Amino acid sequence: MRIFLHECKKALTSPILIALLIVFSAFNIFIIVSSSDHKEELKMVNEIIDRYGREITDDSLKQFQKDIQNDLLELKGITGQQFDSVYVFLDGLRFEEQEQYSDKDWEFINSLQLKEMYFSMANSIDESYAEIDVVAGGQGDLKRYGIGGKAAETYSEENEEFAERFKEMVNNEEHKEWFFAGKSYFMHSFLFKTVFLHIIIESLLLIVLMTALITTYEFENRTQLLTYSTRRGRKLMKDKLAASLAVSTVISLLLFTITLGTYFFLFDYSHVWETSISSAFNWEYNFPNVTWWDLSVGEFLIGVLVLVFIIQLLFSGLTFALSVIVKSSYITFFLFATLFVLGWLLPTFMPKSSNLLFVSSYTLSTLTMAISQSFMGSNGLILFKNFEWMTISCWMVITIVFCAITYKYFRKMDIQ
Amino acid sequence: MRVLWNELKKILTWKMLVLLIFINSVLYFLLIEFDIEYFPNGSDMYSYNLGIEMIKKYGITMDRDEFIDFEKTYADDVKKADDYLQSREEFGEEGLETYEKFRDYDWVNRSGKASELRDEVFFNQSVDLFWELQERERLIEFYKWKDSIPERLSKKKQQRFEELIAQKKFGLYPEVAWMNFKRFIANVGIAILFSVVLVISPVILKDRSRQIVPMQYTTKKGRKLFRTKILAGVIATFIVITALLTVYFSLYSLNNTSMFFDVRVNTFIGNESWFDPTFFQFIMLFISGIYIIGLVFGLLSMAFSSLVPNMVSLIGIQIPFVIGFLIIGLYPLLPDMISIWNPKWLSLISYCTIIIIVILFTAVLWKREKKMDIL
Amino acid sequence: MIVVKDVSKQYGDFTALQNVNLEFGNGLYGLLAPNGAGKTTLIKMLATLIAPTEGEIFYNGKNINDMDDRYRERLGYLPQQFGYYKNYSPKQYLLYLAALKGIGKKDALDKIEELLEKVALSDVVNKKMKKFSGGMIQRVGIAQALLNDPEILILDEPTAGLDPKERARFRHLLTDLARERLVIISTHIVSDIESIANEIIMIRNKQLLYKDSVADICATLNGCVFETTIDYDQLEDFRKNNILLSEKQEYGNMTVRFIHKGDSEIEWTSVPPHLEDVFLYEYRDELEGDN
Repeated sequence: MRIFLHECKKALTSPILIALLIVFSAFNIFIIVSSSDHKEELKMVNEIIDRYGREITDDSLKQFQKDIQNDLLELKGITGQQFDSVYVFLDGLRFEEQEQYSDKDWEFINSLQLKEMYFSMANSIDESYAEIDVVAGGQGDLKRYGIGGKAAETYSEENEEFAERFKEMVNNEEHKEWFFAGKSYFMHSFLFKTVFLHIIIESLLLIVLMTALITTYEFENRTQLLTYSTRRGRKLMKDKLAASLAVSTVISLLLFTITLGTYFFLFDYSHVWETSISSAFNWEYNFPNVTWWDLSVGEFLIGVLVLVFIIQLLFSGLTFALSVIVKSSYITFFLFATLFVLGWLLPTFMPKSSNLLFVSSYTLSTLTMAISQSFMGSNGLILFKNFEWMTISCWMVITIVFCAITYKYFRKMDIQ
Repeated sequence: MRVLWNELKKILTWKMLVLLIFINSVLYFLLIEFDIEYFPNGSDMYSYNLGIEMIKKYGITMDRDEFIDFEKTYADDVKKADDYLQSREEFGEEGLETYEKFRDYDWVNRSGKASELRDEVFFNQSVDLFWELQERERLIEFYKWKDSIPERLSKKKQQRFEELIAQKKFGLYPEVAWMNFKRFIANVGIAILFSVVLVISPVILKDRSRQIVPMQYTTKKGRKLFRTKILAGVIATFIVITALLTVYFSLYSLNNTSMFFDVRVNTFIGNESWFDPTFFQFIMLFISGIYIIGLVFGLLSMAFSSLVPNMVSLIGIQIPFVIGFLIIGLYPLLPDMISIWNPKWLSLISYCTIIIIVILFTAVLWKREKKMDIL
Repeated sequence: MIVVKDVSKQYGDFTALQNVNLEFGNGLYGLLAPNGAGKTTLIKMLATLIAPTEGEIFYNGKNINDMDDRYRERLGYLPQQFGYYKNYSPKQYLLYLAALKGIGKKDALDKIEELLEKVALSDVVNKKMKKFSGGMIQRVGIAQALLNDPEILILDEPTAGLDPKERARFRHLLTDLARERLVIISTHIVSDIESIANEIIMIRNKQLLYKDSVADICATLNGCVFETTIDYDQLEDFRKNNILLSEKQEYGNMTVRFIHKGDSEIEWTSVPPHLEDVFLYEYRDELEGDN
């Protein structure tokens, strides 16, 4: 245990790593704060949920419509004119007329505008979802990417299963729950893509550096002859691995806490934790986000967090093995970065008619880069239901085997 | 000289070169391959071909008479399209018997049948004529707007726009080749930056951590060796950049864009610039830019290399600099270095500033090294 | 001739050397002191690696730091620990340093051949150094110091890692060299220099203690060094009253060598003092601190 702590200390007291941690945190906070202009507008969803409940039902929509009508009457009070929609009013508004209204009036108008937007989106859910044909969409994708042969078969099979799930999801009305309007605010992408990828890449940089530092510490400080001939001897590598994993956890925990803390401090998610992540409002691009399982926003967040932590531990393990072989933290770092990218690009080198196309996408890099679409069937070519747990299990085995082999190699290696 | 050669050999080791090639191959596929392999991409093909045709026919600018000729060609093509549409009854049934009707059809609220026919023309059979017509229309549209200036510009930018209009430098030529090159060079810039940092960083730290410095500094050459090491680093940077540029530009030559080289940059659509070099001159400008950036980062790496205690710190300390440069510096200093959307002298001043800072920094380090106790 | 004049060296609050004055002419000097006495600091100052905080060092009347490369081209230096490139052969490595020393390549090649012969490494000239033993590396280091035929040769712990045969060969080499050179050897192995050094320099408490010939230094203890045989049980008492230099067990009794100032006893045999005796005597406080 004492040895383990000593090893941890080597990384955690390195000034450059602490400095990087601070720089990264500051950068993340900057990114979040500078994209938080709309944080007040987001509160509309909380208001709506307070008022009409989390689920969108015909009754609650009717009530919502009635309330909007009342608001429109109020608008008439302000403007002296009857409008069918606040948008009609805004379209007809001339620049110089804006000053006629007080700030309070504008607040009201803006909030009415938001309400109408949410209402009309909620109203069009059924229509939009009725237009979606998962199977046909899948065929279109195959054509677009030029995929044929065995690969096309595999894909279609999985896609059909997803079509089932999609139907089930629609029947369960998982999508009929309030969430921040995806097409206006892109909160899912912002959180799980922008923010998460920043955190992940930053902590990966730190983890790789720390793991490489701990593992090659003795060689780079020329203490290898002493340390590996002590009683603990080459088993010290085990402590180093444990320390690497522990430090990785601490580092990503810190980065996550600071960054996500800022995020949820600025953006009020208190009402939407239980909303389904497959909500129609979480539809940002061409296809809505639809998960394989009925997950709420909170569950999805936890799921992704767990995934990320496992990924990072695995990367730490892989870095450990790599640096035992390479023995230089410098080369380890660049090799790791290159291999990470290579892992991500792997599918592009595969024939488009072979299942290798999909197999090669089961890499930790791909999983990392597509983290915002985890657990989703709407995840392009990696829609597979088993994608996450398969990738994780396979790479866990690979990492353990790789570490074990390098450890064995290290135990017998000549140390000079 | 022999000392310099020795230091150079210590930087450009086989191991390092293998790593350099490996990393660059991956970076090539990550960043650059797309703009080589898929150029011109899809419908950009028509834009590209039309550009070549215009250069052949009108030279590197298009005056009024030439534009009239351009419009005439367009009218001829429209006629051909009319003939095509009329030769196919299906189109007539949907009320698409002329190209004009086809063009002005309300495609948003389309009927299923019309939509199918349109897809057939554009995608399934891919009738080149229709694509070409679209491209010509786009250019004619730009010609119409050639004298207008975007609103809400700073005074200087407005002046520059007026100047361009007065000199009849209009953005009228298809910009595909140009845009492709801009993406290409930005990515080449990234690859070269990483490569330089990779190769140059360890230079000085390595001798220090191997405890060779006491012996080096007690020889006749003594502490001046520090300067030789820096010089060797600069030469190595130069070699790495030259080698990579050679490779990447040979790959770029596959794009076959040389016919655009004499066109001036302001003549490409949407590419108003403070200066008006030709495409080829801009490439030269870019190459000088990349050498400067490379050398600056090479020197910076060596500076850090003589300050930090170990390799991990060496990488760590450079991460914010490299990433920061990629975020804020890369575009204004490389592809957009003369773009009107940045202040006129921004790139020049930035280049001068970073050069001065790095040279001063290196000078300070040299002074420090001269006096420092070697423990 | 090197003159060290009023030299002090401080690292922050810590004083490593204080007010040292020394003169070196041609010949072999042994710098003898326990670890931490400031030996390496003095050596590094003579090698221009660190600068004195106060005072100056002159070579033939000129400040060595001002002389710059004109001083260093006359200097051969072997650091206590030194690095090498693992993938270089001794020949490549020495060629590299020869270039730094400003020796032409052709001359260097001849010289390298000659020196590797001298340090008995002729058969591994082109082998990579990563496979070398400590002694071999050390011999490469010695060869490197001699590359430029230095007028001043400074060797910091040169015999570390050498076996007895190599040591003997090294001593011959040194006597040879010291005939027309200034050689300074720092060591704490007394036997390495006792027989060959013209003068011994001893540093204690950051200051110069002795700079004299071996004979003169030993003379300071003339008549004070004795040997005698005692019972093992008496040892503790004996230690209290005398300064013990060495002890040896023989047939159940102890033969001890010790220093006693004042009246001697009959059963004690007076013996001529050795340099080691002076060393042990002068540094007894430091050495006891170690135990």
